[in-house]
Amino acid sequence: MKRIIKNKTASLGILFSLPALIYMMVFIGYPMIQNFILSFKNVDVYTFSQAANQKFVGFQNYLDLFKGANSVLPIAIKNTIIFTVGSIFFQFVIGFGLALLFNKKFPGCSFFRGVTMISWLLPVTVAGLLFKFMFQLNGGIINQLLMSIHVLKEPIEWLLNGKSAMAAIITANIWIGIPFNMMLILTGLTTIPNDIYESAGLDGANKIQTLFMITIPMIKPAIMSVLTLGFVYTFKVFDLVWVMTKGGPVNATELVSTYAYRLSFQEFQFSKGAAAANVLFMILLCVGFFYIKTISDDEVM
Amino acid sequence: MKKETKKKIGLVLVGAIVFVIFIFPLYWMLVTALKTQLEIFKIPTPLWPHDLTFDAFKDQLSQSSDTLQGFKNSLIIALGATAISTVLSIPASYGLARFKFSGRKVIILLFLITQMLPSTLVLTSLYIMFSKMGILNSYLAPILADATLGIPFSIIILRTYFISIPKELDEAAKIDGCGHLTAFVRIMLPIAKPGVVVAAVFSFVYAWGDLIYGITFITDPTKRPITSSIYNYVQQYQTLWNSTMAFGIIAILPVVLIFIFMQKYIVSGLTNGAVKA
Repeated sequence: MKRIIKNKTASLGILFSLPALIYMMVFIGYPMIQNFILSFKNVDVYTFSQAANQKFVGFQNYLDLFKGANSVLPIAIKNTIIFTVGSIFFQFVIGFGLALLFNKKFPGCSFFRGVTMISWLLPVTVAGLLFKFMFQLNGGIINQLLMSIHVLKEPIEWLLNGKSAMAAIITANIWIGIPFNMMLILTGLTTIPNDIYESAGLDGANKIQTLFMITIPMIKPAIMSVLTLGFVYTFKVFDLVWVMTKGGPVNATELVSTYAYRLSFQEFQFSKGAAAANVLFMILLCVGFFYIKTISDDEVM
Repeated sequence: MKKETKKKIGLVLVGAIVFVIFIFPLYWMLVTALKTQLEIFKIPTPLWPHDLTFDAFKDQLSQSSDTLQGFKNSLIIALGATAISTVLSIPASYGLARFKFSGRKVIILLFLITQMLPSTLVLTSLYIMFSKMGILNSYLAPILADATLGIPFSIIILRTYFISIPKELDEAAKIDGCGHLTAFVRIMLPIAKPGVVVAAVFSFVYAWGDLIYGITFITDPTKRPITSSIYNYVQQYQTLWNSTMAFGIIAILPVVLIFIFMQKYIVSGLTNGAVKA
């Protein structure tokens, strides 16, 4: 009797979650499998509408992407790594600093903390255009500010020069990502009981010692999820870069995501684009597993 | 005591400086929208408009511009995606929070993974699928795609909400003769309301901010979401920065309003879900 009831409630649980599950299978799961199959075929603008001429070509697309003459994928992977590491490093350090600041109580604290959240909510397209404008040679405020504090002697064309374009998109992405880092670390900080700090103070620990010996080890789980999630979200950024540089100049800011999009929807090499997207997916999957492993002891699972 | 106050003043100062640096890009967007083209390209460009003008906003809000149409399209698309995402996520998260069944962990894991997926991974296949369904260039295509951004997040948020509601509550309901479904609708849903608001707000913000689905599935300028129309506007009017910034301000308006009125919900959502698509 008890067993029957148990089975009944179990199937009820599945029943409740089934609609969402089916939806995700249809609009994410099935397209993923299709994309996987597509990446082993030769579908491009010529064979797109002629199913008869579409055939399997094995790993040819992947080989072309990695080894083909003037292939862009290795550059795109390198750029994506630079973009991700650059963004995360500064987002994390600044976010950590701000979390320490806003963890203290002072007048206006919650107002300042609240307002810094906004950059994270804005549509990335608008944030990207805003930064594109600020980095312009003519009328761009960043050149003007840097010249007024004598960092620059003369204005530079940020977005038309490979290295500075990368710096510009990283800067924009740091601005967008700081609140995410700050809030997650701040939540971690609030879980540290106050008396630990008090006893550390009694033991004569100075501020730097307290930071490295107490604060950081205590919020290690929060740090791990900020870093791994930040990595995943930054690694797949598309719209910011597409809006600011479109991957240019000459592939200097081409990321794997923008490259995959370009292959599929500007050059109409659908199979190659699918293969590039799969490469991106594989990298994210490895990091994703790392993340899930770190949180699997958490109450989330 | 005096040392304390000094320290507090120092903190307020640092906080204020951080605030100014952080908010500057938004300030710059606003003043640029209120400047004339002449002032924007003046060297050095003034830090506030000397020659204040609302022309850029007037242009964007005029009958002939795409801005309001884009706004309306985005509203329809984002509300549609939010509706689908919320309606599907509520029962799913309840099922995953309250019932133990084999495969439950795998399902939660799958939802966790889906929010890490790059949109480009499913974009081509979705394009082919929607083209076969004949819904390219209709609101339905981005609505269906944008809902997939909100669902995993909503499920994770709502599940933690349902878990935090004491089990005794549904047991009491069952003793009173409620079935699972009635207990869910009458007892759980009202308590979980704040969680539902967070989930809906985030689903809306994700859908509102989407660019890649919008530019791929909709090429008809009258159906475009606002992110896609501002993107196309800049391609066309490269240096009309005051108009572009006015356009941008209109495009971020709903998000700013949500932020002002629902800041508490957003912070709790961010920390509980720890995600952004």
